Amino acid sequence: MLIFEPHIHMFSRITDDYEKLSFAGVRAVLEPAFWLGQNRTSVGTFIDYFETLIGWERHRAQQFGIHHFCTMGLNPREANDDRVNKDVLAVLPRYCEKDSCVGVGEIGLDDQTKTEEKFMAEQLELARNHDLPVLVHTPHRDKKKGFERCIAIVKEANFPMERVLLDHGNEETIKITRDLGCWSGFSIYPHTKMDPARMVSIVLEYGIERFVINSAADWGVSDPMMVPRTCVKLEQAGVPRDKVEQLVWKNPIDFFAQSGRLNAEMLAQPASANLRETFDGNSVLRGQDPDKL
Amino acid sequence: MAKSRTHDLLGPAAALADEHLAELRNDRTRLPVLFPGLPRRFGKDPVGGGVQTIGEATIDLDALRVCDVVAAHLVSAIEPTDAELVDLFAHGDIEERAMLLRSLSFLPLGEITNNLLGEVLRTNIVLHLEAAMCDSDLLARAIAAGAVDTETANRLLLKFAFVDMDLTRAFRAEGHASEALSTMLQDLATEREAAGRSVWRHTYRMLGLAPCPGALGRLIGGLEHGDDGVRQAAADGLLALRKNDQRTHSLIAQFAQERAPREPRPAIREQLQQLATN
Repeated sequence: MLIFEPHIHMFSRITDDYEKLSFAGVRAVLEPAFWLGQNRTSVGTFIDYFETLIGWERHRAQQFGIHHFCTMGLNPREANDDRVNKDVLAVLPRYCEKDSCVGVGEIGLDDQTKTEEKFMAEQLELARNHDLPVLVHTPHRDKKKGFERCIAIVKEANFPMERVLLDHGNEETIKITRDLGCWSGFSIYPHTKMDPARMVSIVLEYGIERFVINSAADWGVSDPMMVPRTCVKLEQAGVPRDKVEQLVWKNPIDFFAQSGRLNAEMLAQPASANLRETFDGNSVLRGQDPDKL
Repeated sequence: MAKSRTHDLLGPAAALADEHLAELRNDRTRLPVLFPGLPRRFGKDPVGGGVQTIGEATIDLDALRVCDVVAAHLVSAIEPTDAELVDLFAHGDIEERAMLLRSLSFLPLGEITNNLLGEVLRTNIVLHLEAAMCDSDLLARAIAAGAVDTETANRLLLKFAFVDMDLTRAFRAEGHASEALSTMLQDLATEREAAGRSVWRHTYRMLGLAPCPGALGRLIGGLEHGDDGVRQAAADGLLALRKNDQRTHSLIAQFAQERAPREPRPAIREQLQQLATN
């Protein structure tokens, strides 16, 4: 079964993870621009990070046959930081036009401040200007209220719901989002957020229409293999294989294909994995002979 | 003039390209925003038409894509500053950088040529080496005009060897042969051999064109190599060396005579027979 992992921070992961993902059928990953675990103090560090997403990280993924896409945005945590927020917004248009950028994100709310709301609204405009869908991070605290506020901001901006993916959902939030016309993302974590068994229950109750699942794996205790693991649990629970495939392959492609920058045809073959290729003179081989790997 | 030259190559893309140009003329700060989307908007189909002389440059139009020509059209029309071009390269993705490097063939040679070729040297990406050295005679013209210093040119050709690209793909590369470059190539070959790795076979051709100390020994030794391509390159190198240095004739003839009957490849055997004639 082919898998499109629609939310994973490979910047924070090692090559073993790429290898495992590749063996498990992950053909493509989507890496949203996000918070790096500590606040940045100047726009230059954002620029370098954005360029890593379109450059080195893409190259790393390709070395394992995996297509790499990204979304660009100012994350809600740092939207609160006046040292960087306006400057980051000013440089984003250039990065929203990059070929591998298929959306704006992660935008949204975290502490649910007025400043976060302002920058979320501004980035909805950014997405509209670049004809891109948006990936919305929703708060981990006071989640239900945060979801409702995110939805209200989208509505106030008159942004098309079908181009919105509200991520990090759970059993409570699906009741709010299921009839809105937006897409719902579920981040499957080893111990928090959502686990495979709970995800199975949600699929059995609500189906898979406009749902995507992801690992949201990052620098914390998380597991990049959560999507393949959940596929196994879904099949074991009697969900037909074609439905599972729609959930983990067709749905994320359909959502991000709204950017006009990716489609299933592009992903028909694995990414070119030429171990002799370098990026900025750098290789994943660390001096090892490509012919012996 | 540059504008009309690129405009002629645009074909059906001309109307949309002109819209982009009008937008840029209205606000040139839009260049970094428009540039990344060119492959999506104009496509990556080859322009076609083979190798042509366009202005001062000789360009392989089979290697250029429609988006490359649009990029060249835009940057040559708005006459960007060096700082704008450096910014485009520095913050561009792989495709943007390739488009910009191909555009250099349509721009006047200058400090920016040396600057961006230096970036290619530093970044070591095959697509960019091709754009700089294979898709037009940019490097050859830049060297001839003094826009690129010899040291940078030699290091670019050494990089070509380092990533094992085919010498015949580089425009007029053999014209850059020099003792200094041969010494660099010979040193790389020695390092590779010590590490049990393969040697860039075109090393032999370049050594023959501009020998450095040790070149003759390496070339003669190459005639005994197990790889047909290396023996061919060594024979090519010896033919070039012999042409330029009459003192080597008898020594080369002696080894070629001994080797020729044992050479399994007819084409190489024929070369050896030529070399055997003192």
